[in-house]
Amino acid sequence: MSNRANGWLRGTVVRKGGVSTASSTRTSTPQIQSTSTTVFGGGVKDASGRTSEYFSMDDQCPVCKSDRYLNPKLRLLVSSCYHKMCESCIDRLFTLGPAPCPVCAKILRKLAFIPQTFEDLGVEKEVAVRRRIAKEFNKRREDFPDMRSYNDYLEEVEDITFNLINDIDVAETEARIMQYRQENAALIELNIQREEQYAQSLKEQEELERQEREHRAAELRRAEEQEREEREKGRREIIDKLETSDKDATKLVARSRLEAMRRASARSSSSGSLFQSSSRLLRSRAAQSTVVPDVPHVPLQDNWYAYEDMFTLRDDYDDPPSEAVRRDKEGVMRAGGYRVDQAWERALRCAVAGLEVMPLEGLHSPILEPTSIIGAGPDVVMTSA
Amino acid sequence: MDAVEKANAERQRRWAKDQKIGEGTYAVVYRGREVATGRKVAIKKIKVGQFKDGLDMSAIREVKYLRELKHQNVIELLDVFSSKTNLNLVLEFLDTDLELVIKDRSLVFLPADIKSWMAMTFRGLEFCHRNFILHRDLKPNNLLIASDGQLKLADFGLARDFADPGYKMTCQVITRWYRPPELLFGCRYYSTAVDIWSVGCIFAELMLRTPYLPGESDMDQLKTTFRALGTPTEEDWPGHTKLPDYVPLGQFPKTPLRDLFTAASADCLNLLSKCLLYEPRRRISAKDALDHPYFFALPYPTHPSKLPKPIPKRTSSLPFEELDGNTEPNSTGPGVKANPPNKLKRKHSDEGMIERSKSIARKLDFSQ
Repeated sequence: MSNRANGWLRGTVVRKGGVSTASSTRTSTPQIQSTSTTVFGGGVKDASGRTSEYFSMDDQCPVCKSDRYLNPKLRLLVSSCYHKMCESCIDRLFTLGPAPCPVCAKILRKLAFIPQTFEDLGVEKEVAVRRRIAKEFNKRREDFPDMRSYNDYLEEVEDITFNLINDIDVAETEARIMQYRQENAALIELNIQREEQYAQSLKEQEELERQEREHRAAELRRAEEQEREEREKGRREIIDKLETSDKDATKLVARSRLEAMRRASARSSSSGSLFQSSSRLLRSRAAQSTVVPDVPHVPLQDNWYAYEDMFTLRDDYDDPPSEAVRRDKEGVMRAGGYRVDQAWERALRCAVAGLEVMPLEGLHSPILEPTSIIGAGPDVVMTSA
Repeated sequence: MDAVEKANAERQRRWAKDQKIGEGTYAVVYRGREVATGRKVAIKKIKVGQFKDGLDMSAIREVKYLRELKHQNVIELLDVFSSKTNLNLVLEFLDTDLELVIKDRSLVFLPADIKSWMAMTFRGLEFCHRNFILHRDLKPNNLLIASDGQLKLADFGLARDFADPGYKMTCQVITRWYRPPELLFGCRYYSTAVDIWSVGCIFAELMLRTPYLPGESDMDQLKTTFRALGTPTEEDWPGHTKLPDYVPLGQFPKTPLRDLFTAASADCLNLLSKCLLYEPRRRISAKDALDHPYFFALPYPTHPSKLPKPIPKRTSSLPFEELDGNTEPNSTGPGVKANPPNKLKRKHSDEGMIERSKSIARKLDFSQ
């Protein structure tokens, strides 16, 4: 894009709506956001939210025929009827208020001109129309009871879009849009919110990953810093040693080199692990889950409580030793969760445990059999009753 | 050599000790293997000589209860033998523990992973409780994880069986951050509900990836608890003001769990709140917890083999048994903090040769 620094409208890259950049030179024009830019908003935004503008050396204003050769600052804008003209023509024709388009005679306003992104104005128009339609026709698959009705809806949306792009039955089509908007106001609003939430969560995710990257980078820098310091220190140590000791100089140097190498390798192995991006981890988890299927929860994997029908626990027993506990004047046993019925249950269970089990059953099971799955433990003996 | 010595020597020959992998107050843990099969084990050598009163209490408890328990989600004590003056426990070798998993920031937990770990914890705990054993030291670093992903309860150094009516138990058990309020209030008569509270704290920690109630002292622990869950009223917890060490601590409002656990499902919070009820009698039991809708809802619990595991970086220091900082539970404070990350955990599994014959007897004579 060009480097024209000052012009009637400044800059080659303008925010959508483009009004603010013009403010310095157009003080007399009311700074109202053009409605047509919101309806037929021109151009395509890049990631930073700015519109990139189409620019060519062969530009020529179709109205005044001035071209880039005559006027290097030439800038062509697009009207709401998708005709191009240069800024000076726009100034000339529309400063005094709404006037007809010199090409198609549609009444235009100065503020309704938008920057151009695509070379082909047909594309420009289609993009604008589709964007407008998508804003309101934002139902999702979940909003429909079946695939059929969803497809019908998509068909209708495409129909409307096609009509608008090719100027077929515009009035009737607008009426359809109006009607749809009234009927679905609440749903449209809801879907807009959903969309925003989704965008928000995407942003958060990106932010997280960015932080992680930064963290990794910082970690790396720190490691390098540390390494440098250690090298420095090692060198100083050698010098010190050479000064103070009377041993063979080459031996000293060799030894400290060895130490430095050991330290370096210890460092690299300890910092080697670090992070994997969480999304990558999640993806690998997801891939794994197809290999071993998760199974529904089974509360207990043995049949222990089948034993329960061998006794009935009563609410009360004649049990003098626990008399005081049951009375529990202070309430401390109750508050601590102690229950005398658990003691009774224990006594009863111990009494019936092993009933109907053949004496010495289980004695000859192989020692060190792996504790595999269900019920390999001694409790099986009880459940076999 | 008499018969007993002979039997002991025979057992000793079954196991070979390799390098040392950790040391605790009353024991040293070695990596070892079974000579016949090469199976990896952990051998915990109890230092006998240095205790005037004989064997350390936690060693006794450990042997006593692990001999009783054999379950997929409880560490297995394979054998016990003595060498010179030492007592050696041969335990199942487990790769890592839940604390290391929680702390490894490179791991991502899915809700289904948490569900799977919780189900295994409750299953192991239910097995202890059905056998009338209170674990009394549940915390992430005592939940060991085997190479196939199975989670196992370990460290029975503080375990005991249910007290008979009228018998006091100590309230100085359970690592502080996981200790229920009734113990902090000095209650001497309690039950299985104390373990459930710990599981609730672990559950919350799995979701938060940081300890849920990190109190700095016993008093602060109560305050931290009340700050998180609101001060209990007489209605929430009848009789708690009569507990021996009760002190009024000021009024904290109840905040809904939803405020902290924003992403949790409703079922999940319902189960969590039932684990963290003040009134111990209303706290959910391990068995009821396993029947809770949370476990049946989608997503299904992750298959154990797919659960996230830390990548063993430092092969020599990571994967062991915890030696257990529990010998003096009331003085060490939260073990999670006090212990460096290379805890060793011990696993027990009791495959003693006579073990199989015990299946019947053990139910009959609990105290053997």
